[in-house]
Amino acid sequence: MKNIIEIKNLHKIYATGIHAIKGVNLDVKEGEFLILLGLSGSGKSTFLRCLNRLIEPTSGDIHIDGEDVIDARGQKLRYIRRKVGMIFQQFNLIKNLSSLTNVLTGKLGYSSLLHSLTFPRQKNDIKIALKNLHRVGLRNYAENKIMNLSGGQQQRVSIARTLMQNPKVILADEPVASLDPATADSVMKYLGELNKKDKITIVCSLHFLSLARKYGSRVVGLKDGEIVFDGTPQEIDKKRFKEIYGEDAQEVEIR
Amino acid sequence: MKKENKLKLSLQAILTDLLFWIYIFGCISFLMDRWFEETIPGLNVVIYGTVATAIVIIFGISIGRKVFLPTKRTNKKWYKTFWGWSIVLILLITFIVGWLLVEVNLYKFFTKFRNAGGIMSGIFDPNFDILTMCLTALAETIYLALLATVFAIPFAFILSFFAARNLMPKTFIGNTVYIIIRTIATLFRSIEAIVWAIIFSVWVGIGPFAGMLALVIHSIAALTKLYSEQIENIDPGPVEAIKATGASTLQTWIFGVVPQIISPYLAFTIYRWDINVRMATIVGFVGGGGIGLLLLQQQQLLRWHNVGVIIWLIAAVVWIMDMVSAKVREKLQGK
Ligand SMILES: Nc1ncnc2c1ncn2[C@@H]1O[C@H](COP(=O)(O)OP(=O)(O)OP(=O)(O)O)[C@@H](O)[C@H]1O
Ligand SMILES: [Mg+2]
Repeated sequence: MKNIIEIKNLHKIYATGIHAIKGVNLDVKEGEFLILLGLSGSGKSTFLRCLNRLIEPTSGDIHIDGEDVIDARGQKLRYIRRKVGMIFQQFNLIKNLSSLTNVLTGKLGYSSLLHSLTFPRQKNDIKIALKNLHRVGLRNYAENKIMNLSGGQQQRVSIARTLMQNPKVILADEPVASLDPATADSVMKYLGELNKKDKITIVCSLHFLSLARKYGSRVVGLKDGEIVFDGTPQEIDKKRFKEIYGEDAQEVEIR
Repeated sequence: MKKENKLKLSLQAILTDLLFWIYIFGCISFLMDRWFEETIPGLNVVIYGTVATAIVIIFGISIGRKVFLPTKRTNKKWYKTFWGWSIVLILLITFIVGWLLVEVNLYKFFTKFRNAGGIMSGIFDPNFDILTMCLTALAETIYLALLATVFAIPFAFILSFFAARNLMPKTFIGNTVYIIIRTIATLFRSIEAIVWAIIFSVWVGIGPFAGMLALVIHSIAALTKLYSEQIENIDPGPVEAIKATGASTLQTWIFGVVPQIISPYLAFTIYRWDINVRMATIVGFVGGGGIGLLLLQQQQLLRWHNVGVIIWLIAAVVWIMDMVSAKVREKLQGK
């Protein structure tokens, strides 16, 4: 399998002087379901946002699907971003608009300004949006406003939005951290399915080891902005766990 | 505490003391002049102030120190401390000077009510014969306010994006644009509409058009500030998410920002119309036309019964506008 993401010597130093990412090297193979583990503040969000340049990396080299992310400007950057879907802990949907409208915004990277302003009358786009809502089991909620949906439903809408992009890669920043365990698992199921059926590569930060073992094909541990573990989920024993989470940590089982 | 920080705070403390004592002696000089026709020359005021500052600093009882520098916590009651009495002194002296400057005269207030008899009887016995004329002028004022608001909306809407810190890139150009628009808006807003009305009544002639232009300028400045603060308060999440889909900057603003601000914008705009109706009557006084101008004319002719009608009409309109705009805003914010 070829590498879909190649990262060399990535650094991020915030304006405040905090060195959040310290020389990360990482290659992600096409089709992997990579789980990022790490304590709060270890740099998971920073790392994921550097990959699509929502945060400007300080130095280093990133290639996604063969394209240089760091050098990309304007149109080129848009072109790369639309291949890379992103899912957020807080869902980041527009609360006072309908599910359908929110899903349609996933198409913006492919649309001219004029085209995007006429979304409500673009039959083809709407058809695809409804199909994607159907995939996440929310076909009947197309007209519902986001604020009237539950957390799990909202995260599924955001998955549908990402699908509009036809992404090769999905970056997920703690996608289930604000959901209850059962709902968390059902949302992870959708991500697992996209990985298996659609062959979308997934990089997902998580806090639960049990979910990492269940869905991940590879686990990378981040600590203070550096990679301290890289292996399979099965390799994480007590010792490795303490390397990532520190000496005092205890694994809490969650199913 | 850091050294430079301490230096800065000490300077601020000394400056506070200086201003405090120079002000006290300035007030004393004014009172001496009023009561004993004895002036203290300006230079002496400064010298006495400086000497007093030196004394309080040497004795370690300065007010600036109490405010800016950390002092030991003591349980002394305020009236047992020097700074406590300093504050009493400054409040008292300010009140006395104020009383004299404003020419407060309670005797006149309680004995000369009869002078206002004309206007009072006018209010309680309005002359409704001129109602048609008044209503025409009133319509002028209301429409003036409405047009001023409508004309201001597109300008303020567009400017507000460039005056929002979170939307402007943190580059030199981004910062410059932000600072220039914010500064001009603040400046224009701090110039009263009445001043703009005077300028425009010379420019385009006395009448409602001058009044409208005055309110347009003032409304653009005020709405730009309100709108852009609203943008700075939006949830950054959806904006980030839409940016991540590969949307252009303009698309990000249209799809990520606009839906979040539309209903507060409407609320602000209606509130602005409400304010503009009030301002339009005032602006009329200085050549902005409408009911304000009519009120001025009738008052100068001493036609108190006509003035009475106008006052009732203005009160009614302001009251109704206030109620309507409050109701509409409630609806908008409730959603
Ligand atoms: N915008 C910012 N400006 C300055 N420092 C930041 C910023 N965002 C994050 N940091 C710092 O960078 C470090 C890494 O933060 P980051 O949010 O990437 O961690 P995380 O692993 O995602 O944590 P969490 O699990 O709490 O989400 C932290 O020390 C944080 O304080
Ligand atoms: Mg995070």
